[in-house]
Amino acid sequence: MNRLSGKGYAFFLPSVLIFFVFYYWPLLVNLGLSFFSWNMVSAKAKFVGISNYIAIIQSPEFYQVVGNTILFIVFLLVFNFILPYFYSYMMAHMLKYGKTIYRSLLFLPSLLSLAVASIIFLWIYNPMAGPVNEIVKMVGGTSPRWFKEPYIVLFSISSIIGWKVFGYNMILLLAAMVSVPREIIEAARLENASDWIIFKKIILPQTSSSAMYVFVITVVFGLQYVMVPVNMLTQGGPDQGSANLVYVIYQYAFVFYQTGKSAAYAMITMMLFTLFLGWRSRVADKKVYYEN
Amino acid sequence: MKINIKKELICHIFLIAAVIISLWPVVFMLSASFKELNQIFQSPLNPLPSSPTLENYMTVLGRFPIFDFIWNTFFIAFFVTFFKLTTSLLAGFAFVYYRFKGKELLFNSMLMTFFIPVTVLIMPNYLLISHVGLLNTPYGVMLTELADGMGIFLMRQAMRSIPKALLESAVLEGAGPIYLLRSVVFPLVRPSVIAIGIMFFINSWNEYFWPLLILKDKSQYTLSLALQMFISAEGGSEWGIAMAVAVLTSLPPLILYLFFQKFILNTFMQAGVKG
Repeated sequence: MNRLSGKGYAFFLPSVLIFFVFYYWPLLVNLGLSFFSWNMVSAKAKFVGISNYIAIIQSPEFYQVVGNTILFIVFLLVFNFILPYFYSYMMAHMLKYGKTIYRSLLFLPSLLSLAVASIIFLWIYNPMAGPVNEIVKMVGGTSPRWFKEPYIVLFSISSIIGWKVFGYNMILLLAAMVSVPREIIEAARLENASDWIIFKKIILPQTSSSAMYVFVITVVFGLQYVMVPVNMLTQGGPDQGSANLVYVIYQYAFVFYQTGKSAAYAMITMMLFTLFLGWRSRVADKKVYYEN
Repeated sequence: MKINIKKELICHIFLIAAVIISLWPVVFMLSASFKELNQIFQSPLNPLPSSPTLENYMTVLGRFPIFDFIWNTFFIAFFVTFFKLTTSLLAGFAFVYYRFKGKELLFNSMLMTFFIPVTVLIMPNYLLISHVGLLNTPYGVMLTELADGMGIFLMRQAMRSIPKALLESAVLEGAGPIYLLRSVVFPLVRPSVIAIGIMFFINSWNEYFWPLLILKDKSQYTLSLALQMFISAEGGSEWGIAMAVAVLTSLPPLILYLFFQKFILNTFMQAGVKG
């Protein structure tokens, strides 16, 4: 409409300022800090070149943390992408009655804070007398120490995020499912197409752009959400068994006071995230069907 | 459409299972907050307290500055919401109203902030906040959160749905951008403003990590940080009290949801349709 002129810049100024100072500038600060060794308190920081990066890549901890991150992603994708996807399909195209009530109820957990969720599940998974333990006992098993054993801890933590985010992601996907034109599906039904064929040939392609978005936020935000229960319940333990790439950045800065390593981890993580987002937009350009 | 009874039934079974799993922890939190401690341990699976008690809530009121926690949380959430809404409205409007070179680039770099993981930013931001002397104050928490990439995106989406002709005719009559935003655009996007505002408020109310770093003093704690105090007592002596605090923390978002359910669900759905 109008060309941007003097007054127009004022509309952008507040946001641009905030984003520059608190989002983009910190990335540069991190890049700088990653070449230094500094404990956050002493006045002097020592320049160490790329040795922070080398130390990280040579440490077994790095590979453990990357492994944890991958397992977290797998669990989170099951809880917060695959399950909500099928549920949203079921609600939009198979169910006749009760849609609105299911929608309202399933969304509810996403309103609670992760701190609240963590404390509830700390009790639910309590290995002495918690409800899950009671159920395990009823079927004759013994409950593991959910937050204290390697690998199991990744499942337990992911399940907290899974519980909280499932409904939210389902609503996002439901919006896409509902917008698939009914007539196409009806027409396919008249031709005696099975639910599976309808799902594969119509639903999947028509919802792919929203599905891609939910896939991305499941990974990008899931790994960040995980930090809250990890910090409250395990502090990354047992033996870094629940630390992921996002959490170690925090640990190195605020628990171990090694800002250089923290910054180097931040740069590595940022790079991996950027690669992931870049891969997404390439796939999106090629394969994804965009409505409108 | 003909209903296939068997299919419908299977769907309901799956959905009811999901509803039970989704609501059970909430019901559990509520019921445990009204239970005495030995009851929590004796019958963890029974949702009904056999002799409901307000003792946990009394203890919370008596032993902890709970009203300070509530006020601190509200103070931060209110101002964060106010400023995020203002900056998002202004920027969202400018993206619709102006055309200029590099618009897409500017928009994308604002939206990208939404995807930058917070921990990548927290150490430099912490150093900055500490440098300007705002550690341990609510302002230190708020300062980094005055603008929001997703908010700008959603505002622009809402404003795009206003017919172009309406805006153009107002401009032809000599309306300036500020008048246009205040008197034409704002009234039309008010439902989105309310919904986005609720989203901002709930997110800030629930926030944990950033306040954890900035607020060290117990008198400055928000509710989410206060919850942490009960976890150190992992022996399990404080479950009922912890659940009472958890209930108090969850009430405002749940009440907002109760009243604005349609608004909230619709905004969240919009956010997803166009990624």
